[in-house]
Amino acid sequence: MTKYLLKRLFWMIPLLVGISLISFLIMHLAPGDITASEASFNPKASEESRQKLREIYNLDKPVIVQYGLWLKRMATLDFGTSFATHQRPVFWERKDKDGNVTPGMIQQALPVTLLINVLSLGLIIAIALPLGVISAVTQNQLPDRAITLFVFIGFAIPGFWLALMLMYWTGVAHSWLPISGMHSLNYEKMGWLAQMYDSAKHLALPVFISALSGLAGISLFVRNGMLDVLHQDYITTARAKGLSENTVVYGHALRNALLPLITILGLSIPGLIGGSVIAESIFAIPGMGKLFYDAVLMRDFPVIMGILTIGSALTLVGNLLADVAYAWADPRVRRGVLR
Amino acid sequence: MIQTTKTSTVKRNLLIAALSNPLALSGFIIIATILLLAIFAPLIAPYDPDSIDVKAILLAPSPHHWMGTDGLGRDVFSRMLFGARISLLVGIVAVGIATVIGILLGAISGYYRGWVDIVIMRLVDIMLSIPTFFLILAVIAFLTPSIWNIMIVIGLTSWMGVTRLVRAEFLSLQGREFVLAAQTLGAKDFRLIFTHLLPNSLTPIIVSSVLGVASAVLVESGLSFLGLGVQAPQASWGNILTDGKVYIQFAWWLSLFPGFAILLTVLGYNLLGEGLRDALDPRSK
Repeated sequence: MTKYLLKRLFWMIPLLVGISLISFLIMHLAPGDITASEASFNPKASEESRQKLREIYNLDKPVIVQYGLWLKRMATLDFGTSFATHQRPVFWERKDKDGNVTPGMIQQALPVTLLINVLSLGLIIAIALPLGVISAVTQNQLPDRAITLFVFIGFAIPGFWLALMLMYWTGVAHSWLPISGMHSLNYEKMGWLAQMYDSAKHLALPVFISALSGLAGISLFVRNGMLDVLHQDYITTARAKGLSENTVVYGHALRNALLPLITILGLSIPGLIGGSVIAESIFAIPGMGKLFYDAVLMRDFPVIMGILTIGSALTLVGNLLADVAYAWADPRVRRGVLR
Repeated sequence: MIQTTKTSTVKRNLLIAALSNPLALSGFIIIATILLLAIFAPLIAPYDPDSIDVKAILLAPSPHHWMGTDGLGRDVFSRMLFGARISLLVGIVAVGIATVIGILLGAISGYYRGWVDIVIMRLVDIMLSIPTFFLILAVIAFLTPSIWNIMIVIGLTSWMGVTRLVRAEFLSLQGREFVLAAQTLGAKDFRLIFTHLLPNSLTPIIVSSVLGVASAVLVESGLSFLGLGVQAPQASWGNILTDGKVYIQFAWWLSLFPGFAILLTVLGYNLLGEGLRDALDPRSK
């Protein structure tokens, strides 16, 4: 197991280098130089101060040196300070000499997005798993048809549109749910139970919206996986030796159908993280997605580069966790028999 | 066996499959209808999509304005028709770009193997580990949003699936008799790739391209909805929806129709893609 883990960790190095290269290339797509963007926040920025900025971002050095410095900053997670929000640090808090702490932007936004994504993953598993199994067991009968229809619509429905409709229906037309933000105004004064209830009400729609396409995809995946497994010989054997249909389906088939699900959940992480832009900006949730969207609108390049890097790193960590979980669940993988 | 019949009749199968598989047929009908509406938009549209009419602001759907009018008094039905052109154009061109890149890289990777294969497959892994929507938004932040930039950006960030697919097909085809025969007869690499291997890998490429258009349409509408896609006054389903967001309390038609159009289009492409896969891929039976 240790050897497998080390091998997987080793393979992350070229990926990280590649990500740094691609983000570096994107940074150099901008026509002109990016100090023009800083200058647009402060029209009084003189040519002299722009020159200083160029020095800070190393724009005056040869490209190769610039890349080396960018790699160094990525490795130390130092993404500098934001253009747009009064020089706040992009990633982590910073103390000045008087001991005042300025919190980092990603530091504050990341837990929110992680919370929403973990809840979405939970919701996806809780709903998609039973749907997929029911669909497979009743193949081509009414429940299967209904679930397949749901899956197709789930794939096709634009999340932002459904978000808007649900927001209008539950928030504006009926005021069942709050329409934006993470907490009510009097959140601080509530007891912990009321706080939980308040958060749940605020997060219900955003979590559902970010889970939507995953719900459809994973249901379909579980259905097809179950169908594959149900046609295998050992299932026939299990039936032949007289086991009840429930034991065959839930004791024998489901376990094996679940294995690839681990990988798929790992692979769905970049989609979830990227999808948080839409859910968070519609519901005004102060997470990574909203932060990223605002940064794109304001061309706040240090924030964009920081989130792009952290988002990719999260994906790599997610994939690593999925692979490790798979190896833990399937001895063939960790002993190197498969793959 | 099954595989030999598959190779010789791909083209005929494709037509038959599209017409005989109920999923594919319904998807085909939906898409054909929307495509025709988009192509003949200038003939069908009752009004100029951009003409502002201050006397007809926010009118509910009626025989005069089938889908009502927006905040500037523009006819929503006409804007929807012209929006269809943009959404479909972006979707199809973006997938075209992705498919061409995917075929080239996948073919090189699967045919030459060795270190080129390793490099290309690492590149695929790298691209897949950057959250796609973040990547697209980041590129757009550095460029200016326009429909051409959006097509290129979506295309450049969605070729990875096709690459893996083509590579896998090439790997499985190599060593088959007809490939060996062509090699024995002295066919050059180029000829082998484009006239022997590629035509026999077409089925999964077509299926994945059709499904790709569905997701490209969704991405484009999402970008336009966020104000980072197709820019006003040019109509796209996404930005009609954004305009409608402000009026959602008293003009439901502005939000309902564009969302429904996106849903129907994506559904159509998904049905066609899945239907073709069912009909053409012997493994899915």
